[in-house]
Amino acid sequence: MLPRLSFECLHGCSGCEMALLDCGEQLLGLFDRVEIVHFPLLMDHKYQNPLSGASDGEGEIILPEAEIGLVSGGVANTEQLQVARAMRAQCRTLISLGTCATHGGIPALRNQWTSEATLQTVFAYGSPEKALLPGEVPALLDRVYSVDEQVAVDVALPGCPPRPEMMLEVIEALLRRESPDLAHKSVCETCPVIRQGKGQGTMRRFLANADYDPEEPVDQMRCLLEQGLLCMGPVTAGGCGGRETPLCIRARVPCRGCYGPVRPGGNQLLDMMNGLASNGIDYRSLVDRKSLLRFSGGHGLLKPARNRKESN
Amino acid sequence: MSREAKIIAFCCNWCSYAAADLAGISRLQYPGSIRIIRVMCSGMVHPEMVIHALDKGADGVMIIGCHLGECHYIRGNEMALARAEVIADTLEDLGYESERFRIAWVSSAEPERLAEAFREMSARLASLRETDASPSGIGE
Repeated sequence: MLPRLSFECLHGCSGCEMALLDCGEQLLGLFDRVEIVHFPLLMDHKYQNPLSGASDGEGEIILPEAEIGLVSGGVANTEQLQVARAMRAQCRTLISLGTCATHGGIPALRNQWTSEATLQTVFAYGSPEKALLPGEVPALLDRVYSVDEQVAVDVALPGCPPRPEMMLEVIEALLRRESPDLAHKSVCETCPVIRQGKGQGTMRRFLANADYDPEEPVDQMRCLLEQGLLCMGPVTAGGCGGRETPLCIRARVPCRGCYGPVRPGGNQLLDMMNGLASNGIDYRSLVDRKSLLRFSGGHGLLKPARNRKESN
Repeated sequence: MSREAKIIAFCCNWCSYAAADLAGISRLQYPGSIRIIRVMCSGMVHPEMVIHALDKGADGVMIIGCHLGECHYIRGNEMALARAEVIADTLEDLGYESERFRIAWVSSAEPERLAEAFREMSARLASLRETDASPSGIGE
C-alpha cells in the first residue's frame, strides 16, 4: 500500500497549497509514490460527518487515516479546532505547513484586539446592530492560535509560502523515514550583500528604493539594514531562497520576516528591537513597530492593549 | 490582595549582587517576594529573559547593575540601559504595563539603595494591581 497523504487548510489563504502545486514535474513524481486521501482544496472529498449536516451543529469530524498529514493555516474558530484535532488523531506524522500554522501568520495580527472588537469592527462597525454577523458560522476562539498551540505537531515548516522544494524535501525525507533537515539559521546566513558592520543611526520607511546599481549582482549591494531600511533578516528563520540569496533580497527589498523567528519561541519584535538598540540605532525612528510581529502573532505574542490607569 | 507581587531581580555579579549580599548581612528589610538571579553583567540580560519571566507569571522584573561608568566590563551597563529603553517600550506592545520593568544602578556599597529600589518596585506593582484593568477593545 502506498503511503497516504492528507492535507487540510484552516485559517489560511491556501497559498501554501498553491506553492506545493508550483513544484511542477517533481510533484508528479511524488504523486506516483503516495496516495492522497484528503485534500479539500484539490479534490472533492466530503467530511464523513460534516458540521453543516449534523443536527446540533456540533457533529464530530471524521477524516481518513494517513501516514503524513499537512495542515496549513492557524486555528481561529471552533470548526478549525475540530478539524485540527481530527487531523492529529488520524495522521501518524503531522506537519504544520506555512507560517500561519507554525506562528499564526498574517491572520494572527488580529490578536491585537479581542474577538468581540474584531467582530464589531468587521461586521457592525459604527452601528449598534449585530445582525450583520451571519448566525450559522462557527464561533470564533478568543484569538488566532498556531496549530502547535492546539495539537502536537511533529514537523514545523514555516514560510509564506514555504519554499516548494523544501516542502517536497520534507515529504520525501519522511517517506524515507528520515527526519527532515530544516534551516536553523537566520536569513542573513545566506545573504551575500556587503556588510561593513556600521549602520546608520536611524531607520527610514521603505518609501524610496534601496541604494544599488541594477546592473550589478546582489552581492555588490550594501546590506539593507546598514542602509537604514528595516530588514528583518537577522531575526527571521532562513530558507526562503534555499542555499542561495533570500528571495526578497534578490528583489532588492528588505526581508519582511515571513518565516517567523529563528528559534521556536522567539519573538521577532523583541529580537529586532534588541538588535537595533545594541547597535546604537534609534529604534524610536521605527514606525508601527508592532507590525514586526506581522507573521508571528500567535503563541500569545500579540495581545490586546490593556486599559491604562489614568495618569494624573 | 494578600499575595505580594513577585519580582525577578537580575543582579550583576560585581555590584548589585554584592549589595544584596551586604543587605542581607546588614539585616535590611525588603519584601520577601523578590527573587534574585545573579548574572555576570546587567548587559547580558536579553529582553527575551524579561518577557519570559513575565510570561511565566512574574509581576515585575528588575535589572540592577553597577553605576554608569563603573561597569566591571567597561560598557556592559550602558548596553543594559540601551536595552532597558527598548524593553520598557516593547512591553506595552506585548500587552504588559511598562511599569512592570525597572532598571536601577546600585554599587556594592549601597545596600540601602538596593532595598529601597526593591520596596519601591513592590509598592509600584501593588498599586498597579489595585488599578488592574481588563483588556480593552479598539477605539477606546
